[in-house]
Amino acid sequence: CRRSSDGKPPKFQPPPKPVIIDRKTQKEERRFLSPEFIPPRGRTDPLKYYIERKDMIQRRKVFNIPEFYVGSVLAVTTADPYASDKSNRFVGICIQRGGKGLGATFVLRNVIEDQGVEICYELYSPRIQAIEVLKLEKRLDDNLMYLRDALPEYSTFDVNMKPASRMEHEEIPVNKLQVRMKPKPWSKRWERPKYNIKGIKFELPEHKMKAAQKWSQPWLEFDMLREYDTSKIEEKIRKELSEELEK
Amino acid sequence: MMPIWTKSGEKHAVTLLKVQDCHVLRYVSKEESGGKTAKLLVGGKNVSPFSKRESAHEIFKEAGVPRKQKVTTFNVTDDAIIKPGTPLYAAHFRPGQFVDVTAKTIGKGFQGVMKRWGFKGQPASHGQTKTHRRPGAISTNKAAKVYRGTKMPGEMGNIYRTSFGLKVWRINTKHDIIYVNGSVPGHTNCLVKVRDSKLPTYRHCNKNPPFPTFFADGDEELPEDLFDVEIFQFTDPSVTFA
Repeated sequence: CRRSSDGKPPKFQPPPKPVIIDRKTQKEERRFLSPEFIPPRGRTDPLKYYIERKDMIQRRKVFNIPEFYVGSVLAVTTADPYASDKSNRFVGICIQRGGKGLGATFVLRNVIEDQGVEICYELYSPRIQAIEVLKLEKRLDDNLMYLRDALPEYSTFDVNMKPASRMEHEEIPVNKLQVRMKPKPWSKRWERPKYNIKGIKFELPEHKMKAAQKWSQPWLEFDMLREYDTSKIEEKIRKELSEELEK
Repeated sequence: MMPIWTKSGEKHAVTLLKVQDCHVLRYVSKEESGGKTAKLLVGGKNVSPFSKRESAHEIFKEAGVPRKQKVTTFNVTDDAIIKPGTPLYAAHFRPGQFVDVTAKTIGKGFQGVMKRWGFKGQPASHGQTKTHRRPGAISTNKAAKVYRGTKMPGEMGNIYRTSFGLKVWRINTKHDIIYVNGSVPGHTNCLVKVRDSKLPTYRHCNKNPPFPTFFADGDEELPEDLFDVEIFQFTDPSVTFA
Protein backbone atom coordinates (compact mmCIF):
# COMPACT_ATOMS: atom_id res chain seq x y z
CA CYS A 1 0.00 0.00 0.00
CA ARG A 2 1.55 3.30 -1.09
CA ARG A 3 2.00 6.12 1.37
CA SER A 4 1.17 9.40 -0.30
CA SER A 5 3.08 12.50 0.66
CA ASP A 6 -0.08 14.62 0.76
CA GLY A 7 -2.18 12.49 2.98
CA LYS A 8 -4.73 12.06 0.18
CA PRO A 9 -5.45 8.56 -1.22
CA PRO A 10 -2.94 7.58 -4.01
CA LYS A 11 -3.97 8.34 -7.60
CA PHE A 12 -5.17 5.38 -9.59
CA GLN A 13 -2.40 4.24 -11.97
CA PRO A 14 -3.90 2.23 -14.80
CA PRO A 15 -1.96 -0.97 -15.68
CA PRO A 16 0.50 -0.65 -18.61
CA LYS A 17 -1.06 -1.40 -21.99
CA PRO A 18 0.08 -4.73 -23.51
CA VAL A 19 2.49 -4.30 -26.47
CA ILE A 20 1.36 -6.50 -29.38
CA ILE A 21 4.25 -7.49 -31.66
CA ASP A 22 2.60 -8.50 -34.95
CA ARG A 23 4.85 -11.29 -36.27
CA LYS A 24 3.00 -11.44 -39.60
CA THR A 25 3.86 -7.91 -40.72
CA GLN A 26 7.46 -8.52 -39.76
CA LYS A 27 7.56 -11.67 -41.87
CA GLU A 28 6.55 -9.70 -45.00
CA GLU A 29 10.12 -8.45 -45.17
CA ARG A 30 10.77 -11.45 -47.43
CA ARG A 31 10.44 -10.14 -50.98
CA PHE A 32 11.44 -12.01 -54.07
CA LEU A 33 13.96 -10.41 -56.42
CA SER A 34 14.45 -12.36 -59.65
CA PRO A 35 18.15 -13.35 -59.85
CA GLU A 36 18.67 -11.88 -63.34
CA PHE A 37 18.30 -8.34 -61.94
CA ILE A 38 21.43 -8.61 -59.82
CA PRO A 39 24.37 -7.38 -61.94
CA PRO A 40 27.46 -9.63 -62.00
CA ARG A 41 30.86 -8.51 -60.73
CA GLY A 42 32.87 -6.87 -63.46
CA ARG A 43 34.19 -3.68 -64.95
CA THR A 44 31.12 -2.84 -67.03
CA ASP A 45 29.56 0.59 -66.68
CA PRO A 46 26.51 0.40 -64.33
CA LEU A 47 24.66 2.54 -66.89
CA LYS A 48 24.41 -0.53 -69.12
CA TYR A 49 22.65 -2.52 -66.37
CA TYR A 50 20.34 0.41 -65.65
CA ILE A 51 19.24 0.61 -69.27
CA GLU A 52 18.81 -3.16 -69.47
CA ARG A 53 16.68 -3.07 -66.31
CA LYS A 54 14.43 -0.41 -67.85
CA ASP A 55 13.78 -2.74 -70.79
CA MET A 56 13.15 -5.68 -68.45
CA ILE A 57 10.65 -3.65 -66.41
CA GLN A 58 8.89 -2.62 -69.64
CA ARG A 59 8.46 -6.25 -70.58
CA ARG A 60 7.27 -7.21 -67.10
CA LYS A 61 4.58 -4.54 -67.23
CA VAL A 62 3.07 -6.08 -70.35
CA PHE A 63 3.77 -9.76 -69.67
CA ASN A 64 3.62 -11.35 -66.24
CA ILE A 65 6.76 -13.30 -65.30
CA PRO A 66 5.83 -15.15 -62.09
CA GLU A 67 8.09 -15.88 -59.18
CA PHE A 68 9.67 -19.31 -59.44
CA TYR A 69 12.73 -21.15 -58.24
CA VAL A 70 14.89 -24.03 -59.41
CA GLY A 71 12.81 -27.11 -58.63
CA SER A 72 9.38 -25.66 -59.37
CA VAL A 73 7.24 -27.15 -62.12
CA LEU A 74 6.32 -24.69 -64.90
CA ALA A 75 4.21 -24.78 -68.06
CA VAL A 76 5.40 -22.49 -70.87
CA THR A 77 3.43 -21.68 -74.05
CA THR A 78 5.52 -20.29 -76.91
CA ALA A 79 4.59 -19.13 -80.40
CA ASP A 80 5.71 -21.73 -82.92
CA PRO A 81 5.40 -20.99 -86.67
CA TYR A 82 5.66 -24.68 -87.59
CA ALA A 83 2.96 -26.06 -85.25
CA SER A 84 -0.61 -26.53 -86.48
CA ASP A 85 -2.20 -24.14 -84.00
CA LYS A 86 0.89 -21.90 -83.97
CA SER A 87 1.58 -22.42 -80.24
CA ASN A 88 3.55 -24.98 -78.28
CA ARG A 89 3.04 -25.88 -74.59
CA PHE A 90 5.78 -27.57 -72.56
CA VAL A 91 5.59 -28.66 -68.91
CA GLY A 92 8.73 -29.39 -66.94
CA ILE A 93 10.76 -28.89 -63.79
CA CYS A 94 13.12 -25.92 -63.78
CA ILE A 95 16.64 -27.33 -63.37
CA GLN A 96 18.72 -24.20 -63.94
CA ARG A 97 18.32 -20.43 -64.06
CA GLY A 98 21.18 -18.76 -65.90
CA GLY A 99 22.18 -15.49 -67.49
CA LYS A 100 21.80 -11.93 -66.28
CA GLY A 101 19.76 -9.08 -67.67
CA LEU A 102 17.65 -9.49 -70.81
CA GLY A 103 19.38 -12.74 -71.80
CA ALA A 104 18.24 -14.60 -68.66
CA THR A 105 17.29 -18.22 -69.37
CA PHE A 106 15.75 -21.15 -67.55
CA VAL A 107 15.93 -24.83 -68.49
CA LEU A 108 12.84 -27.04 -68.12
CA ARG A 109 13.19 -30.82 -68.03
CA ASN A 110 10.59 -33.54 -68.50
CA VAL A 111 10.54 -37.16 -69.63
CA ILE A 112 8.03 -37.68 -72.47
CA GLU A 113 7.41 -41.24 -73.68
CA ASP A 114 10.65 -42.47 -72.08
CA GLN A 115 12.72 -39.74 -73.74
CA GLY A 116 14.25 -37.04 -71.55
CA VAL A 117 13.68 -33.57 -73.03
CA GLU A 118 15.26 -30.33 -71.83
CA ILE A 119 14.29 -26.97 -73.31
CA CYS A 120 16.13 -23.74 -72.54
CA TYR A 121 13.75 -20.74 -72.65
CA GLU A 122 14.67 -17.06 -72.56
CA LEU A 123 12.63 -15.21 -69.92
CA TYR A 124 12.31 -12.01 -71.96
CA SER A 125 11.85 -13.54 -75.41
CA PRO A 126 8.76 -12.11 -77.15
CA ARG A 127 7.81 -15.58 -78.46
CA ILE A 128 6.80 -16.75 -74.97
CA GLN A 129 3.06 -16.24 -74.61
CA ALA A 130 2.43 -17.55 -71.09
CA ILE A 131 4.37 -18.89 -68.10
CA GLU A 132 2.32 -20.69 -65.42
CA VAL A 133 3.75 -22.05 -62.21
CA LEU A 134 2.09 -25.40 -61.59
CA LYS A 135 3.99 -26.15 -58.39
CA LEU A 136 6.04 -23.54 -56.57
CA GLU A 137 8.74 -25.08 -54.42
CA LYS A 138 12.48 -24.99 -53.81
CA ARG A 139 14.94 -27.85 -53.66
CA LEU A 140 18.11 -28.38 -51.68
CA ASP A 141 20.34 -27.27 -54.59
CA ASP A 142 20.47 -24.33 -57.00
CA ASN A 143 21.22 -26.51 -59.98
CA LEU A 144 19.42 -29.77 -60.67
CA MET A 145 21.52 -30.93 -63.64
CA TYR A 146 22.06 -34.23 -61.80
CA LEU A 147 18.48 -35.21 -62.70
CA ARG A 148 19.96 -36.31 -66.04
CA ASP A 149 21.76 -39.13 -64.23
CA ALA A 150 18.95 -39.84 -61.78
CA LEU A 151 16.25 -42.43 -62.30
CA PRO A 152 13.70 -41.13 -64.86
CA GLU A 153 10.83 -41.19 -62.36
CA TYR A 154 12.27 -38.08 -60.67
CA SER A 155 12.04 -36.05 -63.91
CA THR A 156 8.60 -37.18 -65.15
CA PHE A 157 5.78 -34.74 -64.69
CA ASP A 158 2.25 -35.06 -66.02
CA VAL A 159 1.74 -32.80 -69.02
CA ASN A 160 -1.86 -32.09 -67.99
CA MET A 161 -1.00 -31.35 -64.38
CA LYS A 162 -3.32 -28.89 -62.63
CA PRO A 163 -1.70 -25.91 -60.88
CA ALA A 164 -1.35 -26.64 -57.17
CA SER A 165 -3.34 -24.20 -55.05
CA ARG A 166 -1.20 -22.15 -52.71
CA MET A 167 -2.01 -19.57 -50.07
CA GLU A 168 -0.31 -16.20 -50.38
CA HIS A 169 2.19 -15.15 -47.75
CA GLU A 170 3.11 -18.73 -47.01
CA GLU A 171 6.74 -19.77 -46.82
CA ILE A 172 7.93 -21.40 -50.04
CA PRO A 173 8.20 -25.14 -49.25
CA VAL A 174 11.66 -26.68 -49.57
CA ASN A 175 11.43 -30.20 -50.95
CA LYS A 176 14.11 -32.16 -49.11
CA LEU A 177 13.89 -35.01 -51.59
CA GLN A 178 17.05 -37.10 -51.95
CA VAL A 179 17.19 -38.47 -55.45
CA ARG A 180 18.38 -41.98 -56.35
CA MET A 181 20.84 -42.20 -59.23
CA LYS A 182 21.35 -44.58 -62.13
CA PRO A 183 24.55 -46.66 -61.90
CA LYS A 184 27.79 -44.87 -62.74
CA PRO A 185 29.20 -43.49 -65.16
CA TRP A 186 27.41 -40.15 -64.78
CA SER A 187 27.73 -37.09 -67.01
CA LYS A 188 29.56 -35.30 -64.20
CA ARG A 189 31.14 -36.64 -61.01
CA TRP A 190 28.38 -35.36 -58.75
CA GLU A 191 29.96 -36.78 -55.58
CA ARG A 192 32.84 -34.27 -55.78
CA PRO A 193 32.67 -31.33 -53.36
CA LYS A 194 32.88 -28.66 -56.08
CA TYR A 195 29.26 -29.31 -57.04
CA ASN A 196 28.21 -29.26 -53.39
CA ILE A 197 25.06 -31.32 -54.04
CA LYS A 198 22.80 -32.10 -51.13
CA GLY A 199 19.88 -33.59 -53.02
CA ILE A 200 21.38 -36.95 -54.04
CA LYS A 201 21.21 -40.13 -51.95
CA PHE A 202 24.71 -41.41 -52.73
CA GLU A 203 24.79 -45.19 -52.60
CA LEU A 204 28.53 -45.29 -53.35
CA PRO A 205 30.92 -47.16 -51.03
CA GLU A 206 32.59 -45.18 -48.23
CA HIS A 207 36.08 -45.25 -49.71
CA LYS A 208 34.79 -43.67 -52.97
CA MET A 209 33.11 -40.84 -51.07
CA LYS A 210 36.30 -40.26 -49.09
CA ALA A 211 38.39 -40.30 -52.28
CA ALA A 212 36.09 -37.67 -53.79
CA GLN A 213 36.89 -35.33 -50.86
CA LYS A 214 40.48 -35.20 -52.17
CA TRP A 215 39.27 -32.58 -54.69
CA SER A 216 37.80 -30.35 -52.02
CA GLN A 217 39.04 -26.75 -51.82
CA PRO A 218 38.26 -25.73 -48.23
CA TRP A 219 40.08 -22.37 -48.60
CA LEU A 220 37.52 -21.15 -51.16
CA GLU A 221 34.93 -20.06 -48.61
CA PHE A 222 37.53 -17.84 -46.88
CA ASP A 223 38.82 -16.23 -50.08
CA MET A 224 38.11 -12.52 -49.67
CA LEU A 225 38.63 -11.65 -53.32
CA ARG A 226 35.72 -13.91 -54.25
CA GLU A 227 33.31 -12.20 -51.88
CA TYR A 228 30.42 -10.42 -53.57
CA ASP A 229 27.99 -8.83 -51.16
CA THR A 230 24.81 -8.10 -53.05
CA SER A 231 22.61 -6.91 -50.14
CA LYS A 232 22.95 -3.17 -50.82
CA ILE A 233 22.68 -3.58 -54.59
CA GLU A 234 19.59 -5.74 -54.09
CA GLU A 235 17.95 -3.12 -51.88
CA LYS A 236 18.48 -0.40 -54.49
CA ILE A 237 17.16 -2.59 -57.28
CA ARG A 238 14.11 -3.63 -55.20
CA LYS A 239 13.27 0.01 -54.58
CA GLU A 240 13.68 0.86 -58.25
CA LEU A 241 11.52 -2.10 -59.30
CA SER A 242 8.70 -1.35 -56.88
CA GLU A 243 8.65 2.32 -57.94
CA GLU A 244 8.59 1.51 -61.66
CA LEU A 245 6.02 -1.27 -61.46
CA GLU A 246 3.61 0.92 -59.52
CA LYS A 247 3.60 3.58 -62.22
CA MET B 1 26.37 -6.78 -75.34
CA MET B 2 22.64 -7.38 -75.15
CA PRO B 3 20.04 -9.45 -76.99
CA ILE B 4 17.49 -7.74 -79.21
CA TRP B 5 14.43 -9.36 -80.81
CA THR B 6 12.78 -8.59 -84.15
CA LYS B 7 9.02 -8.59 -84.76
CA SER B 8 9.27 -12.11 -86.23
CA GLY B 9 10.84 -13.42 -83.02
CA GLU B 10 14.47 -13.74 -84.18
CA LYS B 11 17.20 -12.83 -81.72
CA HIS B 12 20.24 -10.71 -82.57
CA ALA B 13 23.14 -9.74 -80.33
CA VAL B 14 23.82 -6.04 -80.04
CA THR B 15 26.77 -3.97 -78.71
CA LEU B 16 26.09 -0.74 -76.83
CA LEU B 17 28.34 2.20 -77.71
CA LYS B 18 28.18 5.41 -75.68
CA VAL B 19 28.93 8.78 -77.28
CA GLN B 20 30.79 10.54 -74.49
CA ASP B 21 31.68 14.27 -74.84
CA CYS B 22 32.50 14.26 -78.55
CA HIS B 23 33.44 17.62 -80.03
CA VAL B 24 34.70 18.76 -83.43
CA LEU B 25 38.22 20.14 -82.86
CA ARG B 26 39.54 21.46 -86.16
CA TYR B 27 38.77 21.76 -89.84
CA VAL B 28 41.58 20.86 -92.24
CA SER B 29 40.94 21.87 -95.85
CA LYS B 30 41.68 19.64 -98.84
CA GLU B 31 44.78 21.62 -99.90
CA GLU B 32 46.21 21.68 -96.35
CA SER B 33 45.86 17.96 -95.77
CA GLY B 34 46.91 16.97 -99.30
CA GLY B 35 44.21 14.31 -99.58
CA LYS B 36 41.16 13.99 -101.81
CA THR B 37 38.65 15.49 -99.35
CA ALA B 38 38.61 17.89 -96.44
CA LYS B 39 39.16 16.47 -92.95
CA LEU B 40 37.54 17.14 -89.60
CA LEU B 41 39.44 16.36 -86.39
CA VAL B 42 37.09 15.01 -83.74
CA GLY B 43 37.93 14.30 -80.10
CA GLY B 44 36.12 12.08 -77.60
CA LYS B 45 35.96 11.50 -73.83
CA ASN B 46 37.16 14.27 -71.53
CA VAL B 47 40.34 13.58 -69.61
CA SER B 48 42.50 15.50 -67.12
CA PRO B 49 44.63 18.28 -68.77
CA PHE B 50 47.51 17.87 -66.33
CA SER B 51 49.15 14.80 -67.85
CA LYS B 52 50.32 16.52 -71.06
CA ARG B 53 52.43 19.63 -71.65
CA GLU B 54 50.91 23.00 -72.61
CA SER B 55 51.85 22.79 -76.29
CA ALA B 56 49.69 19.69 -76.67
CA HIS B 57 46.64 21.64 -75.49
CA GLU B 58 46.60 24.11 -78.42
CA ILE B 59 43.99 22.28 -80.49
CA PHE B 60 41.67 22.02 -77.52
CA LYS B 61 42.09 25.67 -76.53
CA GLU B 62 41.26 26.86 -80.06
CA ALA B 63 38.07 24.82 -80.03
CA GLY B 64 37.28 25.84 -76.45
CA VAL B 65 36.96 22.29 -75.23
CA PRO B 66 38.58 20.26 -72.36
CA ARG B 67 41.38 17.85 -73.26
CA LYS B 68 40.16 14.72 -75.01
CA GLN B 69 41.57 11.23 -74.66
CA LYS B 70 41.49 10.43 -78.39
CA VAL B 71 41.58 12.56 -81.53
CA THR B 72 40.58 10.99 -84.89
CA THR B 73 40.13 12.30 -88.41
CA PHE B 74 37.06 11.90 -90.58
CA ASN B 75 37.18 12.52 -94.33
CA VAL B 76 34.26 14.87 -95.10
CA THR B 77 32.81 16.40 -98.24
CA ASP B 78 32.70 20.21 -98.46
CA ASP B 79 28.97 20.44 -97.70
CA ALA B 80 29.35 18.52 -94.43
CA ILE B 81 31.86 20.85 -92.73
CA ILE B 82 31.02 21.64 -89.10
CA LYS B 83 32.31 24.54 -87.03
CA PRO B 84 35.02 23.50 -84.53
CA GLY B 85 33.64 23.29 -81.00
CA THR B 86 30.23 21.84 -81.85
CA PRO B 87 29.31 18.82 -79.75
CA LEU B 88 28.39 15.60 -81.55
CA TYR B 89 25.62 13.37 -80.24
CA ALA B 90 24.41 9.81 -80.77
CA ALA B 91 21.42 11.20 -82.71
CA HIS B 92 23.87 11.88 -85.58
CA PHE B 93 23.11 8.26 -86.53
CA ARG B 94 19.64 6.89 -87.20
CA PRO B 95 18.29 3.34 -86.77
CA GLY B 96 18.45 1.34 -89.98
CA GLN B 97 21.77 2.91 -90.97
CA PHE B 98 24.93 0.86 -91.53
CA VAL B 99 28.13 1.72 -89.76
CA ASP B 100 31.82 0.74 -89.61
CA VAL B 101 33.38 0.51 -86.15
CA THR B 102 37.16 0.81 -85.62
CA ALA B 103 38.98 0.13 -82.37
CA LYS B 104 42.20 -1.31 -80.98
CA THR B 105 41.79 -5.07 -80.47
CA ILE B 106 42.43 -6.71 -77.11
CA GLY B 107 46.19 -7.14 -76.67
CA LYS B 108 47.23 -10.75 -76.17
CA GLY B 109 50.97 -10.12 -75.75
CA PHE B 110 53.65 -12.30 -77.33
CA GLN B 111 51.83 -15.29 -78.80
CA GLY B 112 52.88 -18.40 -80.61
CA VAL B 113 52.07 -19.28 -84.16
CA MET B 114 49.05 -21.48 -83.36
CA LYS B 115 47.08 -18.78 -81.57
CA ARG B 116 48.33 -15.87 -83.67
CA TRP B 117 47.93 -17.33 -87.18
CA GLY B 118 45.85 -20.47 -86.57
CA PHE B 119 48.48 -23.00 -87.59
CA LYS B 120 47.69 -26.66 -86.90
CA GLY B 121 50.88 -27.54 -84.99
CA GLN B 122 52.02 -31.14 -84.69
CA PRO B 123 50.44 -34.28 -83.10
CA ALA B 124 50.72 -34.77 -79.34
CA SER B 125 52.17 -38.28 -79.56
CA HIS B 126 53.38 -40.86 -82.12
CA GLY B 127 57.04 -40.02 -81.72
CA GLN B 128 57.04 -36.21 -81.90
CA THR B 129 60.19 -35.00 -80.11
CA LYS B 130 59.76 -31.59 -78.47
CA THR B 131 57.55 -30.37 -81.33
CA HIS B 132 53.87 -29.78 -80.65
CA ARG B 133 53.12 -26.08 -81.27
CA ARG B 134 55.94 -25.07 -83.61
CA PRO B 135 55.50 -23.57 -87.11
CA GLY B 136 57.39 -26.34 -88.93
CA ALA B 137 58.80 -25.18 -92.27
CA ILE B 138 59.06 -21.42 -92.93
CA SER B 139 60.09 -21.41 -96.59
CA THR B 140 60.99 -23.70 -99.54
CA ASN B 141 64.38 -25.07 -100.60
CA LYS B 142 64.55 -23.27 -103.96
CA ALA B 143 63.82 -19.86 -102.47
CA ALA B 144 66.89 -20.09 -100.24
CA LYS B 145 65.54 -17.23 -98.18
CA VAL B 146 62.60 -16.41 -95.90
CA TYR B 147 60.09 -14.08 -97.53
CA ARG B 148 59.08 -10.82 -95.85
CA GLY B 149 55.81 -11.10 -93.98
CA THR B 150 56.21 -14.81 -93.16
CA LYS B 151 53.83 -15.75 -90.37
CA MET B 152 55.86 -16.21 -87.18
CA PRO B 153 55.28 -15.77 -83.42
CA GLY B 154 55.09 -12.18 -82.18
CA GLU B 155 52.96 -9.55 -80.43
CA MET B 156 49.27 -10.22 -81.09
CA GLY B 157 46.42 -7.78 -80.72
CA ASN B 158 46.48 -4.13 -79.63
CA ILE B 159 46.18 -2.99 -83.27
CA TYR B 160 43.39 -1.08 -84.98
CA ARG B 161 40.81 -3.24 -86.72
CA THR B 162 37.44 -2.40 -88.27
CA SER B 163 34.14 -4.29 -88.35
CA PHE B 164 32.29 -3.30 -91.52
CA GLY B 165 28.61 -3.04 -92.28
CA LEU B 166 27.08 -3.15 -88.79
CA LYS B 167 23.41 -2.22 -88.60
CA VAL B 168 22.28 0.41 -86.11
CA TRP B 169 19.19 -1.01 -84.35
CA ARG B 170 18.36 1.63 -81.77
CA ILE B 171 19.49 5.02 -80.48
CA ASN B 172 18.98 6.36 -76.97
CA THR B 173 19.07 10.17 -77.19
CA LYS B 174 18.91 10.74 -73.42
CA HIS B 175 22.08 8.79 -72.58
CA ASP B 176 23.66 9.04 -76.11
CA ILE B 177 23.87 5.29 -76.74
CA ILE B 178 24.05 3.59 -80.13
CA TYR B 179 22.95 -0.08 -80.37
CA VAL B 180 25.08 -1.67 -83.08
CA ASN B 181 24.53 -5.20 -84.48
CA GLY B 182 27.05 -7.92 -83.70
CA SER B 183 30.40 -7.57 -81.98
CA VAL B 184 32.94 -4.79 -82.12
CA PRO B 185 36.75 -4.98 -81.72
CA GLY B 186 38.19 -3.93 -78.37
CA HIS B 187 37.65 -4.64 -74.67
CA THR B 188 34.73 -3.30 -72.58
CA ASN B 189 34.82 0.48 -72.09
CA CYS B 190 37.47 1.02 -74.78
CA LEU B 191 37.44 3.97 -77.21
CA VAL B 192 35.87 3.29 -80.56
CA LYS B 193 35.46 5.20 -83.84
CA VAL B 194 32.05 4.94 -85.53
CA ARG B 195 31.77 6.00 -89.17
CA ASP B 196 29.18 5.63 -91.96
CA SER B 197 29.79 2.40 -93.82
CA LYS B 198 31.96 2.49 -96.92
CA LEU B 199 30.75 -0.88 -98.24
CA PRO B 200 29.22 -0.61 -101.74
CA THR B 201 26.01 -2.49 -100.73
CA TYR B 202 25.16 0.12 -98.11
CA ARG B 203 26.12 3.18 -100.12
CA HIS B 204 22.50 4.30 -100.70
CA CYS B 205 21.15 3.04 -97.40
CA ASN B 206 21.13 6.33 -95.58
CA LYS B 207 17.83 8.06 -96.29
CA ASN B 208 17.50 11.54 -94.79
CA PRO B 209 20.19 11.42 -92.14
CA PRO B 210 20.65 14.53 -89.97
CA PHE B 211 23.02 16.53 -92.19
CA PRO B 212 25.71 17.75 -91.42
CA THR B 213 24.99 16.52 -87.88
CA PHE B 214 22.32 16.56 -85.17
CA PHE B 215 22.38 19.90 -83.35
CA ALA B 216 21.01 19.75 -79.82
CA ASP B 217 20.01 23.41 -79.73
CA GLY B 218 18.00 23.09 -82.98
CA ASP B 219 14.22 22.91 -83.30
CA GLU B 220 13.91 19.12 -83.56
CA GLU B 221 12.52 17.38 -80.47
CA LEU B 222 13.52 13.72 -80.65
CA PRO B 223 11.88 11.05 -78.46
CA GLU B 224 14.09 9.38 -75.85
CA ASP B 225 14.44 6.14 -77.85
CA LEU B 226 14.59 5.75 -81.62
CA PHE B 227 13.91 2.20 -82.81
CA ASP B 228 14.41 0.46 -86.13
CA VAL B 229 11.21 -0.58 -87.94
CA GLU B 230 11.78 -4.31 -87.40
CA ILE B 231 12.58 -4.23 -83.67
CA PHE B 232 10.15 -5.82 -81.25
CA GLN B 233 9.35 -3.15 -78.67
CA PHE B 234 8.66 -4.32 -75.13
CA THR B 235 5.51 -2.22 -74.93
CA ASP B 236 3.86 -4.53 -77.52
CA PRO B 237 2.22 -7.84 -76.53
CA SER B 238 3.98 -11.15 -77.24
CA VAL B 239 4.67 -12.24 -80.82
CA THR B 240 2.08 -14.56 -82.41
CA PHE B 241 2.30 -16.22 -85.81
CA ALA B 242 -1.08 -15.90 -87.47
